[in-house]
Amino acid sequence: MTSNNPRAGWEKIGDQFYQKVQLYESVFDADLELENYFVAGAPYGGALALWRDASKVARYRTGQSTKSTIDIYSSSGKLISNINWEKGPIKGLGWSDDEKLLVVTEDGIVHCYFGLHGDFQPFLLGHGAEEYGVVSCRFWSQGFVALLGNNTLIAVSSFDEPRPRVLAQPPEGEVHSWSLIPPAYTLSRSVEVLLAIDKTIYVVDASESEDRGLSDGPFKHISVSPNGRFAALYTEDGKVWVVGSDFQNKYSEYDSKAKTTPTQICWCGNDSVILAWEDEVHMVGPNGAAVKYYYDDQVHVVADIDGVRLITNEACEFLHKVPDPLEEIFKLGSTSAASVLVDSIELLEKKSPKADENIQRIKPNLPEAVETCIRAAGDEFNHNFQKQLLRAASFGKSVLDLYSSDEFVDMCEDLRVLNAVRDFRIGLFLSYEQYCRLTPERLIARLVNRRKYLLAIKLSDFLHLPSNKIYVHWASQKVRSSSGDDDAIRELVVERLRGKHGISFETIARAAYDEGRSHLATTLLNHEPRAGKQVPLLLNMEEDEIALNKAIESGDSDLVFFVLLQLKSKLPLATFLRTISEKPVAAALVESSARAQDQDLLKDLYYQDDRPVEGSNLLLEDAMHQPQVHAVMDKLKLAARLLTDAKDPTAIMHTRALTEATQLLKMQEAFDKEITDSSGSFLGLSINETMYRLIKSGYSKRAASVQSAFKVPEKSWWWVRLRALTAARLWGEVEEIAKSKKSPIGWEPFYNEVLGAGNTRLASSFIPKCTSLQPAERIEMWVKCGMIVKAGEEALKAKDLASLESLRDKANGQQHVEIERMLTQLRPKK
Amino acid sequence: MAAHPAAKAINTQEITDKARRDLLQLLEAVRGKKNLVLERSLAGTIGLFVKFSTLQEYGVDKVFFLENHNVDSSQRNVIFLLRGDNAKTVRTVAEQIKLVRSESKIDHEFSIIWIPRRTRVSDMVLEEHGVLGEATISELALYFVPLEQDLMSLELESSFSDLYLRKEPTSVFASATALMRLQKQYGLFPRILGKGDNAKRLADLLQRMRSEEDVNASSDPSKTYLTSFGLTPSSVVENLIIIDREVDFPTVLATQLTYQGLIDENFGISNNQIEVDTSVLGGAPAPPQQQSGTAQPPTAATKRKVPLDSSDKLYPSLRDANFATIGPTLNQTARRLQSDQQNIKQQDQSIADLRSFVSKLPSYQAEQASLKTHTGLAEEILKVTRSEVFSAMLEVQQNLLAGSDPSTVHENIEELIARDVPLKTVLRLLCLESCLSNGIRSRDLESFKRQILQAYGFQHILTLADLEKIGLLVPRESHRGYLNPIAGAAGQTATDWNAVRKSLNLWIDDVQETDPNDTAYVFSGYAPLSVRLVQCILQKSYLSGLVNTRPGSTPPTGGGWKGFEDTLTRIRGATVDVTQKGHDADASHARKTLRGSKEGPKVSVVFFLGGVTYAEIAALRFVSGQLEKSSGRRIVIGTTHVISGNRAVGAAVEKRKFVE
Repeated sequence: MTSNNPRAGWEKIGDQFYQKVQLYESVFDADLELENYFVAGAPYGGALALWRDASKVARYRTGQSTKSTIDIYSSSGKLISNINWEKGPIKGLGWSDDEKLLVVTEDGIVHCYFGLHGDFQPFLLGHGAEEYGVVSCRFWSQGFVALLGNNTLIAVSSFDEPRPRVLAQPPEGEVHSWSLIPPAYTLSRSVEVLLAIDKTIYVVDASESEDRGLSDGPFKHISVSPNGRFAALYTEDGKVWVVGSDFQNKYSEYDSKAKTTPTQICWCGNDSVILAWEDEVHMVGPNGAAVKYYYDDQVHVVADIDGVRLITNEACEFLHKVPDPLEEIFKLGSTSAASVLVDSIELLEKKSPKADENIQRIKPNLPEAVETCIRAAGDEFNHNFQKQLLRAASFGKSVLDLYSSDEFVDMCEDLRVLNAVRDFRIGLFLSYEQYCRLTPERLIARLVNRRKYLLAIKLSDFLHLPSNKIYVHWASQKVRSSSGDDDAIRELVVERLRGKHGISFETIARAAYDEGRSHLATTLLNHEPRAGKQVPLLLNMEEDEIALNKAIESGDSDLVFFVLLQLKSKLPLATFLRTISEKPVAAALVESSARAQDQDLLKDLYYQDDRPVEGSNLLLEDAMHQPQVHAVMDKLKLAARLLTDAKDPTAIMHTRALTEATQLLKMQEAFDKEITDSSGSFLGLSINETMYRLIKSGYSKRAASVQSAFKVPEKSWWWVRLRALTAARLWGEVEEIAKSKKSPIGWEPFYNEVLGAGNTRLASSFIPKCTSLQPAERIEMWVKCGMIVKAGEEALKAKDLASLESLRDKANGQQHVEIERMLTQLRPKK
Repeated sequence: MAAHPAAKAINTQEITDKARRDLLQLLEAVRGKKNLVLERSLAGTIGLFVKFSTLQEYGVDKVFFLENHNVDSSQRNVIFLLRGDNAKTVRTVAEQIKLVRSESKIDHEFSIIWIPRRTRVSDMVLEEHGVLGEATISELALYFVPLEQDLMSLELESSFSDLYLRKEPTSVFASATALMRLQKQYGLFPRILGKGDNAKRLADLLQRMRSEEDVNASSDPSKTYLTSFGLTPSSVVENLIIIDREVDFPTVLATQLTYQGLIDENFGISNNQIEVDTSVLGGAPAPPQQQSGTAQPPTAATKRKVPLDSSDKLYPSLRDANFATIGPTLNQTARRLQSDQQNIKQQDQSIADLRSFVSKLPSYQAEQASLKTHTGLAEEILKVTRSEVFSAMLEVQQNLLAGSDPSTVHENIEELIARDVPLKTVLRLLCLESCLSNGIRSRDLESFKRQILQAYGFQHILTLADLEKIGLLVPRESHRGYLNPIAGAAGQTATDWNAVRKSLNLWIDDVQETDPNDTAYVFSGYAPLSVRLVQCILQKSYLSGLVNTRPGSTPPTGGGWKGFEDTLTRIRGATVDVTQKGHDADASHARKTLRGSKEGPKVSVVFFLGGVTYAEIAALRFVSGQLEKSSGRRIVIGTTHVISGNRAVGAAVEKRKFVE
C-alpha cells in the first residue's frame, strides 16, 4: 500500500478499469487448510465465518482440538471468537446486514447468532424441513431461503421475529443450482427464487412458480447481481451468460473453456462476474472481456455490494471496479479538470507559477473538479493519495468564491473514521460506498460487537452519535465476565455510567440475571428509569409483587394487564385475589376484563372482597341472559339471597327491588295467560308499561291491581292512566275520571293530552277545572279549543279589555257579535 | 373561515396526512388483493382520513366488521385492523383466524395491524390460541385524529366509562402517549396546568415519559443526535391545560344549546357525521305525526349520512351559535342567495358579469345545498325544542344550574318520569342535581330510584348502581362537605358549587345569545366550569372583572392559576401546575434562536380527559377568538372523544331487558 503509483493493480477489461487492492497481509495461519473450510463473509467488509467441511479429510495436527467449531475472523485474520458447534452438519451458513450469523442445520433448526460471541436464538423452519431435510440455503441482507429435499422453498424475511413461510411449490426434479432476488429489488416486493431445474429456470415467489422457458441448461450456477437486475448463468459447456433477471435480454456471453465447473460464481459490483476455481479466478467484464488471476492455493471469494473480497492464507484482497472519480483523475492521459487540479498541487509544491495558470484554465469547471477530488479521496484506499486528493480539493476551493465546505469537511471526517477502522487490529475494511450504505450507527454497533469500546466511544463522540449503547454493552460485558462480588461490580458500573444519558440499566441487569446473579440484577434494576422495562425481567426473577408495582407505576395498562395475566396463571386464585386487592388499578383491570370473559372470577373476587351488592348485580345480569322466565326468576332469587345478610341501605333497597321484580314477572306471566290479544307478551315490561298496556287494552281493573300491588304513587298512576286512555281514545273513561273532584296532577295535563289527541270538546271541559291558572292562560286554552266566546267570557270575568279586543280579531260571525257585546259591557260607560 | 394561525403552529392536517400515508403503506406491504376486517368503531375513525375508494386502489376487496363474524375466504390475504388494548378483541381475532383457516381450502395469509400499538397482551392471547406465528403483525401509531383544524380527538369512545365507571387507566396512558408525541414534534409544553385527579395522573405520566423518552430516544438508532440532548421547551405551544371530566360533570349533563350541540343531542354526531332520515333533508316538512314525548324516528325510513365539518359552506358559521339565533341566520342566508339569483335573472349582464357569475356557480350551488340541509335539520330540532317535555326539562335544568333549591324541581322531575320521557333525560336531570349539590338527600333519592325502577324496569338496578359508581348519582353524605379537614392537600372530593358559582360567575342572567359577550351563551345562562377554568389561566383580567365589579380592584397577573387559588381549593380533585425546562439550558437557548426569536403566535393546548362536549368546544372557540383579537394567541383542543350527556349517562344505562 506504499506504492507511489495510483494506478497500482489497475487492470483494463473492455473499456473499464478494475483494481485489485491488497487489504491485509498474512491473514491466516499457514497451517490452516483453507480448502477444507466453508467461508462465509458478512456484508460490508464484515466478519468471516469459517467452518471445517467435515466431508474432507484433514491433516491431524497436534495441539489442535478436534472439537468442531465455527470460527469468526475479521478480514485481517484476527480471531474474534470460536463458537462451539456440535449440532451436526451445517446446510447453510450466512450473515445478515447487521452481522447476525445464521447457521441452518439439516433438520431445519436455525441458530441466529448475534453479537459475534456465541449468543444465539434458535428457531425452527418447520413446513416439513425435519422430514425432508434442508439441502442448501441462500441469504440476503435481511433474510434467507432454504431449499428442502423435496424442492420446497422456505423463506424467512426477518430475524427479529422470524416467520418461516413456504413459497409456491416448484416442480419436481434435480435442482442444479439456484439463487434469489432480494425483496427490495423485485416488483412484487417479496423474495423471488431462481431455480435451475432440467434445462430451464423457474422463478418462484410467494404465490406462483413460473417456467422461464429456457432450453440451454442445465445451468450449473446462477448468480444475481447486487442490484437484482442481472443474472449470471453458467452452462454445462463452460459458458457464462449474463442476462436480465427478467430473462428477456441476454447481454453477454463468455466461454471459460474450462473443463471443470467453477466452485463459485458471483458478481463483482453490478457489471462484472467472477468465476472461481480452487486456485484460479476469472473476472468477466461487460461484453465478455475477461481477465484471469492465478493463485498458489485455495482462494475464497466473498461478494459485497461493490466488489469482492478474495481470501487466501497470505492475503485478503479487494477486487472492484475503479470508481469513476478515481478513473477520471488518475487515468493515463486524463485531461479532465479534476485531473488538472491534482496535477497543479504538485506544481504548487514545486512553487511553479504554472499551478495558477492551470487553475485559471479550468476555472469554469472548478466546482465540479473540486467535487470530483473530494469523492475520489473517499474512494481511494491509500492514505497518501487521499491526502493528495484532499489537498487538491482544498486548493481548488480556496480559489472559488462562495463555496460551501460542508462536503469537504464531511469527507475528512468520514475518511478519518474509515482509516481508523481499516487498521489491521480492527480489520473492518469498508469502501466508502459500503460505509455510506452501512451507516455510521451500524458501524459503531459492529465495533461494539467486537468489544472495541474505546474506539467506538471515540468515534461516536467524533460523529456526534449517542454513545449510551456502547456503555450499556460494556457494562453488560463487565457484569458477565467479572467474578468480583456483587456490590463491587455494581459500584464500578454505576460509577462509570454516572451522568451518562439514556443508559438502559435493564439490559445490564438482564445480563447479570442471565449469569445467575439475581441480587446484582435487582440492585442494578433500581437504576433503570423506565418502569416498563423493569417488569419483564422482574417477572422472570419471580419478583411478582415488585413487578406488579412497577407496572402500575408505569401507568401502562397493557403492562399491568400483562403482569396480571402472568400472575393469574401461576398463583393460586386466593393468593392472586389477595395480591390485587390492595391495588385499585390492578383490581379495576381484573374486574373489567373479567366482566367480559370470566364471570366466575368476578364472583370469587366480590365474594373475597365482601361486596355482596356487586355479586348480586352480577347474578342480575345473568338473569337478563336467561331466555326462560322461570330461569330468570331463579337467578333473581339467587341474587336476592346473596343480600340476605347485608345491612346497608343499598342492599336493602336492592333486595326489595329484586323481590318486586320477581313478583312483577309472575303477574305478567298471569296476564299473558289471561289476555290474548295481539299486543304481545307482557314479560319484560316495566310496572308503568304494564299498567299502560293494560289500560290501553281496556283492563283498567287489572291495572289498578298492579298499582296497589307495587304502591305506585298516585301521580304516576294518574299520568299513566291519562296517557293510556288518550292513546287508546277511550274518552268515556276519561270523562269518568274527570268527574272526580281532585286530580293529584292537576287538570291541565288532561287538557293538554286530550287536546293533543284532537278532542277539543273534551279538552275544553277541563278548562274550568284549572282553577290555579291565570285568566290569561285560560283564555289561551279556550282559544286553542276554538271557543272564542268562552275565552271572551273568561276575559270578561277578569275584566281584561286588551285580551278581549285581540279576541275580536280572531272571532267571526256569531262569535264576533258576542265579543262585541262583552266589549261594550266591559268598556267604561261614557 | 380564515386559516387559523394556530392551526399553522400545530398542523393538524399533517397528522391526517401521516395517518393516511402510514395506513396505505401497511396495506401495500401485503401483496395483491385483500379483505379487510375492521372493528366497527374504527370504521368511522378511519373514514376521517382515508376514503374507501382509496382503500380499493390499494387492493382492498371487501371490508368486514369483526363483530359480525362473517369473514369469508374470498381472498387469500386477510388483514385485521384493530385496537389492541382489549383482550376480548384479540380473542375474537384469534378465533376468526382459526375458523377461516379450518374452513377454507386456500392457504391464507393473515396480517394484523394493531392500533395504536402492538400490546404484550395481544401477543400473549394470540400465542395462547396458537396463531401468533400465523400472522404478520404490524402497528399503526394512530393517536390523535383531527376532527377539525383546532380539534383533535383520540376517538376512544369507551374512555368515559373506562375512567369513571371501571376506573381503568387505559385512556390516561393513551392520552399521555398522544401528548408525548405532540411534544416530540413541537417541543415540551413549557407549562402543564390542570385540574382533577386524573389530570394529575396524566401530568405525572407525562413527566415520567419524558425521562423515559431520554432513554428510548437514545437507544433508537434512527433518531438524529439532536434528541440526545433531550426535549426542549416548545416555542409555539405556550401551555397545556388538562381538564379532568370528573371536575365538571354538570356541563356534560346539561343540554347543549348550540346548533352543533343540539344536533349531537338529537342525532348523535360520530366522526363528524350524522345519520338522518332522508325526509328530514328533503326540505319538505315531515308528516305531521304527533310526538308522544319521545322523538323517535320511524325506523323504516331510508337513512342518509350527512358530513358535518368545515368543508360545508355554512356549517362553520352556524355550528357554534346558540340555537335561538339559527333561524334568523338561515333566513338571511336564504334571502341573500335568492337576491343573488334574481340579480342574475333581472339585469342585463355583460359577458364579464356572466363569467364571474358562472365561476361562482359551483360555490353558489354548494351553499344552496348546504342551506337546504341545515334548514331541514334546524326544523327537525325545532320540533323537539318546541315540545312541552323539552321545555319542562330545560326549566328544571336551568333552575338547577342557576343555583335554586333543588327540592323545588323534584315535582317536575317526578312528572317527567310519570310521563315516560326517555330514561336518559330523567337521569341527566337527577345526576345534574346530585353533582351540583354533592348528592341527593337519601330519602328523596330512594323515592326517585323506586319511581325509575317502576317506570323503566327493574333491570335499571344495574343502571343506578353504575351511576353511583361513576359518582353521578349519589346519596348526600355528611362527610362530603367541602370544608372537610380530612381532605387535606390531596384536593377536595367534592366541589362547593355555590361558592364556585359566585367566584367564577358561572351563571349570567342577562346572557346575549345573538351577539355573545360571554361563554355562558352556549347554555343560555350557564357558563361551563371547564371553560371558566381555562379562562382562569388565559383570560384572568376578563374573569376577575366579571366577578369584582367594584372599580379599583386590580386584576391578578402572573402565569398559571395565579389569582384563583382560593377558588380552586373549592373544586374537587388535585390541582396541577408543572413547569418544564430543558435539560440543557444552552441547547434550549440555541434551539430557540434557531427557531427564530420573533414571538410567533402562541398556542394553548386544552386537553379534556374523559371527553368534551360540542358546547364546550363552541365556548372555547369563542374564548380563542377573543384571545386572538387581543394577543394573537389561540386554543387547540384535544380530547379523548366527544361526549354528550346521553353518552355519559349511557355508559351506565343497562340496555337489556328481562326475557327478551
